[in-house]
Amino acid sequence: MFTLPQKESGAPTTCLDPASTQGLGSNYGDGLGRDCARKPDQKLPKLYGVGDPIATFSSDSSHLSSRGRIIKWFWDSAEEGYRTYHMDEYDEDKNPNGIINLGTSENKLCFDLLCRRLSQNDMLQVEPSLLQYPDWRGHLFLREEVARFLSFYCKSPAPLNPENVVVLNGCASLFSALATVLCEVGEAFLIPAPYYGAITQHVYLYGNIRLVCVYLDSEVTDLDSHPFQLTVEKLEMALQGANSEGVKVKGLILINPQNPLGDIYSPEELQEYLEFAKRHELHVMVDEVYMLSVFEEFVGYRSVLSLERLPDPQRTHVMWAASKDFGMSGLRFGTLYTENRDVATAVASLCRYHGLSGLVQYQMAQLLRDHDWISQVYLPENHARLKAAHTYVSGELRDLGIPFLSRGAGFFIWVDLRKYLPEATFEEEMLLWRRFLDNKVLLSFGKAFECKEPGWFRLVFSDKAHRLHLGMQRVRRVLEGKSQMAEVPPSCQTQESRGQHS
Amino acid sequence: MSHLSETLHQSRDQVRSQDLGNQSTHTQLMEVMQRLQQTVEDYITQLKTQHLQPDLGLGEQRHSQAAREQEAILVRLMCQVVNLLQPPSPDSSGHVGGGQQAQSSRQPDQLGHHLSDLQATVVSCDLSTRGSDISALYHSSIQGYKTYQGDKYHEDKNPLGFINLGVSENKLCIDLMTERLSRSDMHYIEDALLQYADWRGQPFLREEVARFLAYYCKAPAPLDPENVVVLNGCCSVFSALAMVLCEPGEAFLTPTPFYGGFAFTSHLYSKVELIHVHLDSEVTDTNTCPFQLSVGKLETTLLEARLKGKHVRGLLLINPQNPLGDVYSEDALKEYLEFAKRYNLHVIIDEMYILSVFDESITFHSVLSMETLPDPQRIHVIWGTSKDFGISGFRFGALYTQNKEVASAVSSFGYLHSISGIAQYKLCRLLQDREWIDKVYLPTNRSRLQAAHKYITNNLKALKIPFLNRGSGLYIWINLKKYLDPCTFEQELLLHHRFLENKLLLARGKSYMCTEPGWFRLIFSEKPLCLKSGMHRFFQTLGEQKQDCTEKQQEDALREQTVCLLPSSSSQSHAGESLASASGP
Repeated sequence: MFTLPQKESGAPTTCLDPASTQGLGSNYGDGLGRDCARKPDQKLPKLYGVGDPIATFSSDSSHLSSRGRIIKWFWDSAEEGYRTYHMDEYDEDKNPNGIINLGTSENKLCFDLLCRRLSQNDMLQVEPSLLQYPDWRGHLFLREEVARFLSFYCKSPAPLNPENVVVLNGCASLFSALATVLCEVGEAFLIPAPYYGAITQHVYLYGNIRLVCVYLDSEVTDLDSHPFQLTVEKLEMALQGANSEGVKVKGLILINPQNPLGDIYSPEELQEYLEFAKRHELHVMVDEVYMLSVFEEFVGYRSVLSLERLPDPQRTHVMWAASKDFGMSGLRFGTLYTENRDVATAVASLCRYHGLSGLVQYQMAQLLRDHDWISQVYLPENHARLKAAHTYVSGELRDLGIPFLSRGAGFFIWVDLRKYLPEATFEEEMLLWRRFLDNKVLLSFGKAFECKEPGWFRLVFSDKAHRLHLGMQRVRRVLEGKSQMAEVPPSCQTQESRGQHS
Repeated sequence: MSHLSETLHQSRDQVRSQDLGNQSTHTQLMEVMQRLQQTVEDYITQLKTQHLQPDLGLGEQRHSQAAREQEAILVRLMCQVVNLLQPPSPDSSGHVGGGQQAQSSRQPDQLGHHLSDLQATVVSCDLSTRGSDISALYHSSIQGYKTYQGDKYHEDKNPLGFINLGVSENKLCIDLMTERLSRSDMHYIEDALLQYADWRGQPFLREEVARFLAYYCKAPAPLDPENVVVLNGCCSVFSALAMVLCEPGEAFLTPTPFYGGFAFTSHLYSKVELIHVHLDSEVTDTNTCPFQLSVGKLETTLLEARLKGKHVRGLLLINPQNPLGDVYSEDALKEYLEFAKRYNLHVIIDEMYILSVFDESITFHSVLSMETLPDPQRIHVIWGTSKDFGISGFRFGALYTQNKEVASAVSSFGYLHSISGIAQYKLCRLLQDREWIDKVYLPTNRSRLQAAHKYITNNLKALKIPFLNRGSGLYIWINLKKYLDPCTFEQELLLHHRFLENKLLLARGKSYMCTEPGWFRLIFSEKPLCLKSGMHRFFQTLGEQKQDCTEKQQEDALREQTVCLLPSSSSQSHAGESLASASGP
């Protein structure tokens, strides 16, 4: 959701204006935005970039420490976008002209199923042990259930061990804890960009570490068979680049299924990336929060936990949560699976600060235990609804002649609106985003995901039909009114190559 | 939680973050060696308790797991020693930007040379320096607690299990809480509770917290929900506050003894130093009650710290005090706040036990009840439900501050310390139900606390054990000096271990940074049967201890005589025997 000031390769550091927060610009990963100025675009091609959290703030705050001021900036910038949306939230009856949120990645399609399941009698247990200090790693009954659940749904070759499970209040906490226990201050993780931007904040707040972006681009070439393809060469280059700047890289973050691209790594690709990490002794954090939100069967998703042999099991750490796959971002449940006991214990040591209520742990265990309901009721229905919503939105986009990427996983479509920008700049991207907001539809723009090409937007489709239809009408209105403005639309054929078969 | 203090003091990081110039390698080495010594002691205790229950399969597994972890700490400490013995390397002083933390002096290559086998098998090279420290600190601090977790006392199922009178939990009203939380109004689910919400906490909960605090703290005017930030526990609130108020290495003043969790917390993430304002138990002309806090002491400590170049940003107060059970008078509180204002200090005030004042003759004054606050922009109040409602597993803590900047900055941590919407709803219902709180919960809780407190204090009086007789909190601060010979922290630790051998967990004074050896914190908010068994073990331990002391004195006397009559070997064998009998089951 947030972008820290960037020190970019090839760009002299002096272009970071210390008197303003403009470098801290965009933050719309989850559609919560604010207005801001943009840095002039660099002409040099950039293959990687090192996030630089040590920014100077010209704040008159007399109360906060300097890190406190940066931390507060995160809040203020989110708060501003949050206010815009929440002050004028769409409601079918009460506020039909309110803002429709197609920016936040939430699955709003299955609340009926979830509310019903969570209201059943087996969920209502209250017992003393749930109200008292727990094992900070999470109650044993829950860790056992998580291990069974992941073994089954990730198709692990052998049963997973509850001792390798740590339970926390969400993946944000997990990123924070891993950053803290794996890195010293100022060290870094590699991350292919575009990526879910909120991770920047998660690893910064307590961990004070940086992200090194591996920039991917949309062009299909001899080497890149599909847009935004991640290759080992690109990883190598980014790693070398960071090293040459004296930044020590400790790990690699992979999001699979990817957010915002909706990409899925094949087992072969995954293996290559893991081998790369092993060669350089990097930890790999595999964020699999969308693993059950693969709604197209032909996609053939494989969890890293399903691999027969991991190249470096001691440095492979898997993350999963209930936020996306069970559409319960407000439940605050996230889990780590790692064979590395040192890492598991170190993360557990921080769990006193990231624990979740015993009652919620109990409910979560009940839910995960109910494989019948999950496999026979929830997942088929959820996938059908996701697919229907996706079919509708992709149809609309095709109708508008808009290229997009989508491979049948996740809640979002990565949309190419470059032809609607009169100039390929992030200022124009921002203006277009504003125009959407003025027309009461909230999207997330590419800059928030550290995308290097201005003009990409993430559009979330996992919303109820009536809101989705209205949202798409508003999108259409903006684009049709705007389409004449761009004189020479760039060729966008290449993006049609994938994900359009639904 | 008992080994917290020494671990903190001797943690490598702390050592390094102090002025390195002033500290010779020798001092550092001494500290690490002391910690090593203590870990070995703990390890041996671990092995002993393991022998006590060979029949419990699961328990045994946990023990050996704990033992393995102990081994890992031992090796880690040895690595540190070796490290300190290395000649200084020119590039070991490099600092990372941001000044957050001094760089590690651990040099894996050199270490590998000396300890390659151990290093490879036990010490993780995967963790960062701070990661290893966090792990080590955690292990040493919860080791007793873990033993307890694996073998908890239960009236019927495990009457020989560990009794925990060390961790501050109120177990007296768990029946009431369980019943209340099981009622149908708690089982409400709606879409909004399952979605991303305001990271400061759901508006309905913040409104309820504001109303609740205004009512129970007797605020002169309604409190503003915009000043409330809700997180998953008070340690989280404190951690976030320390982050946004201080640079790494800056400090808070805090009177000792104090709740060790704060020391743990300030060290873990924010690297904020807590400077102790040492209070002592002796009553004098100026010290009208034991461990009395005065502005004079605050001022002296502050000025001394400043002379040493410390940057003190604030004052941390706990009211009702933990572990003393003291309640600050309105005048005293005002003085402390005015002192803070004079020196531009923030005041973080932890009021976790406001509803646990069980002696009706005591009037508690919340800082929120004051007509005018000396410096409202610098006063930050923490409250939670863990203690007052005995639901530490619920994970709820709240901040109240009029300072918008601080509230916003702390809200950023909502991501990392958030509470489930479902739990927020239940909490809101709970806090809303004044009728139940006022007519059922509080009166029952108060009378049960009173009864338990009375039971313990009568027992203590019978044994002539001095203690602070206070009327708030869940604990009693007791003085077991007379059972230590000599009166040192080593002996305090040994006594603590002896309690553990008798399957009783207590918290010792050192964990609260108490400067006088021999103080222990005893939790009394435990079910009557359990409490009774606990006290039985308590007295049994003290009996053993006393006998040991007497034997030791006799031996000393004997040795003095025998020195001139016999060769020294016979007295040695005698000492060996008594040691063996002391460590038996």
